Amino acid sequence: MEDDPFDFESDILLATSPVVAPKRKKKVLGLDDLLVDHYKEKNRVAERESKLAKTKRSYNSDDEEDGRVAKLSKYVDECHEKMTQLGDEDDVSHWGLQVFGKQKTPQSFAFSELSSCSLFRLCVDHEVNSLVELSTESGETFFEGLLTNGWLLKLVSKCGEVEKSIAKWTFHLMLYSSKEVLRNAAVDFWCAILSLKNEDESTSIKIDWLPSYSELNGALETFGFVFHSPTKDSSDTEMLFGDSEGSEAPQNVRTWIKYVAACSHSRNIHCTFTTSEAEELLVVIICLLLDRQLLGLSVELNECTLALVNFFTDDEWRFSCVQVAKSVASRVPKDMNSLRAVECISVVHGPTKLLRSEIAFRILLGCFDKVEDEEEVVRQLTLINLKDKSCDLFKVYIYLVLTENWFLYNPLLEDKQLLNEMWGLFLRNCSCQINITDSRSYAPKVRSKASYLLQGTTD
Amino acid sequence: MGTKRRRGDGGMEENTMAILDTYCFSKSTEHIADDRLSFLEAVRSGFLVTENSAGPTNKMYKAVFKILRVETSLDLIMSSYQLLLELDKRFPQAWSPFSFGTDVTSSEKQDDHSKISGSIDAIEFHRLIEEVSKVPDQANTEILTTEPLRNMLLFQYLVKLLEGDLVPRNFAFTEKSDWVTLRESLLNMILVSRKITYKGLVKDCLSTLCELSQFSTKCIHDMRPEQTGSTEITEKCHTALALALPEVVKRTCAAVQKLLIMIVELDSSKKAADLEGWTTRADGTRTPATEIILDELTYDKNILFPFFQALDKPKLKLDMIVQFLKKYIPKTSVRTRRSNGSANDSTFGGVLNCFSNESSTKGIVKKISSEVAQLLLAHAFQAYILLPSEHSTESKEDTADNSLRNICNNMISAFTCLKKADKNSGILPFGKEALFTAAIMLSRNS
Repeated sequence: MEDDPFDFESDILLATSPVVAPKRKKKVLGLDDLLVDHYKEKNRVAERESKLAKTKRSYNSDDEEDGRVAKLSKYVDECHEKMTQLGDEDDVSHWGLQVFGKQKTPQSFAFSELSSCSLFRLCVDHEVNSLVELSTESGETFFEGLLTNGWLLKLVSKCGEVEKSIAKWTFHLMLYSSKEVLRNAAVDFWCAILSLKNEDESTSIKIDWLPSYSELNGALETFGFVFHSPTKDSSDTEMLFGDSEGSEAPQNVRTWIKYVAACSHSRNIHCTFTTSEAEELLVVIICLLLDRQLLGLSVELNECTLALVNFFTDDEWRFSCVQVAKSVASRVPKDMNSLRAVECISVVHGPTKLLRSEIAFRILLGCFDKVEDEEEVVRQLTLINLKDKSCDLFKVYIYLVLTENWFLYNPLLEDKQLLNEMWGLFLRNCSCQINITDSRSYAPKVRSKASYLLQGTTD
Repeated sequence: MGTKRRRGDGGMEENTMAILDTYCFSKSTEHIADDRLSFLEAVRSGFLVTENSAGPTNKMYKAVFKILRVETSLDLIMSSYQLLLELDKRFPQAWSPFSFGTDVTSSEKQDDHSKISGSIDAIEFHRLIEEVSKVPDQANTEILTTEPLRNMLLFQYLVKLLEGDLVPRNFAFTEKSDWVTLRESLLNMILVSRKITYKGLVKDCLSTLCELSQFSTKCIHDMRPEQTGSTEITEKCHTALALALPEVVKRTCAAVQKLLIMIVELDSSKKAADLEGWTTRADGTRTPATEIILDELTYDKNILFPFFQALDKPKLKLDMIVQFLKKYIPKTSVRTRRSNGSANDSTFGGVLNCFSNESSTKGIVKKISSEVAQLLLAHAFQAYILLPSEHSTESKEDTADNSLRNICNNMISAFTCLKKADKNSGILPFGKEALFTAAIMLSRNS
């Protein structure tokens, strides 16, 4: 907000004050306190002055007046600052989509095959069962203990095989159990067996049942994931402020993410999904990164992104990267969310750089009608008339950050002179054509961002 | 153009730091948060993009670290944590927030006005561990803030730095007997610091480990965000915290364990250096961490099982249980065994032998209950079978007592004796699981 700080009748302040009234209560008291303090101080000063006056008869009343004005205006400034802090909170737009809707009830699962599993049979037939007392009734609880306490993993590695009944049961627990302990133990179990070698280290262990891609997809549906199809800009508001009841991200999504990462790591050992399925999973992960409810899982989400990117060979990635970027661009609204979709890609090596650059480019491409190639996109940017009052600087800011990412993370663009020249022109326009007193929102952001980028390019 | 930007580090620092400095008149807290996010992104694009760029300057590192230490917004906490991890991966040991010299910290604090600076000393590190131990309490209150999460991430990052610093130094010690380098390791500097009590630090690590591991196995799934009329962003933040906590607690548990193990490793290196006479009086003496822990476990039975449940380093776990049980094994039986020539009362096989007949088992059960004996044996057995196979030849030894086959058989007979010794208490589920595993191992081995 660039308003005159002393304009107390400013429309914005008047318009926003009732909304923030309950919050401001404390701050208003703060001002009172300030005034009380101020007058206390005044009294003390006055006392001291009068004492001084006895010894030193001459003092200038004008100076005293000036001092008062200066102090008062200082307090007014402080007060105004506090008010603006409360008033303009809506000024910054945020990213954040709601990618989960209503959850469905998961399919019930009966661990009926347990009694036919060979681990169970071996124990029941063994003399040790006089101590263990394993039976069909107590079987499931007992196996839950084996799983959570880590025995099961040791047993399957000793046997060199994960039986179908065990695999199905643990997979179901991992995605659908309501108990954190079981979910957690099950996902650790799966992550371990996917990369587990036999005791002689030569071969990987045999897993009799591997979940298919549709199992993972089915789990997403049960969780209430609603971001599967491309969105149109008109439905954004519904997405953002839709009915929040029952649309909470499920706890189980964490194990889903970890499992997908583990599968991607073990592509050379167990084939669990195809490249096009991996592309879709990567798009899902990027969508999950757009929901603030999953912000605390960014470490896991980033690890999963990296695992999925590394799933592809270099040759596959050249094609798949574009597919992923196109798919992300078609789903993400052209606001702060599009910047998040780019910046959430943690850049650690060539393939992730390429992905970040490609997503930025594909979103940018979608911002302009009938624009097909790189040159045309940058040309459109240079044609924007920033001085025009109707020019939407928020959009310009989005373009600016998208283009920055597109250029910065794509080494191939360095040699394209024309593109670089036009990009430089756009930056100079943003930096010079927006006046420092420009009161449009996002004017200071566009100007300082462009200046920062320009400073980096000219040395 | 992309690469040109990376040149001229001085200008780079000035430009990037300027993003944080633009506090102008109308800046709200949200604008400041937004600027800080831009700053983190600028550091990322400035230093992590090109292959051969130099790392950020100390000033920038400190600014990023300070964001992690003071921020309350989840977005900023996660971004700064992530960035610090990435920087550490890319430029290992390039920077550390630890500062131990008294001069440095005091002058810095005067400089900084605010209490929290971009560096951390031994007291603050100890205080952080205390804070982390409070996480379960904080998480069970109605209003969940970002503070517990921030403290845990901060702690994880610091332990990672300590590890990155200690491992090469400890390697240099074992390879080249270089004690001086190891003495100067960050971890050793913390442990010898006069500002903290070393024993207190080890005890706090122990209780934190137990608190966190109990928390993660028990009540974590009951945590639900409050259904109040809060604004959308805070509600989202609440769900986000509830969603993130289980994993962060789990990783923090692993970090506390890592710290304890590093202290134990440092202890054994120091012991070796003492024996060789490389240490000086300045190195001081301190009780080995395992002794402190064993004492604590003896006095406070409540933490016995949470501790062994949480400890997943098989070698350390096995050694500690054997040492613990040795205290309760009658001296006579040990002596008999020694006179027999097999001096392995200090191995798991030796301990199991003491449970091989009813009378000696009864003697032990009188001192520690049947439950304690069962759980300790089961935990020891688990640690034994988890010992990495490359160590198996040396740790499991060639003696008949310690072969897998014998251990499994002796486990079964030990539990048979335990059941007979105390007819009132049955076999605990965890004990049954161990027996089940032993039986399967036997049938698969034949």
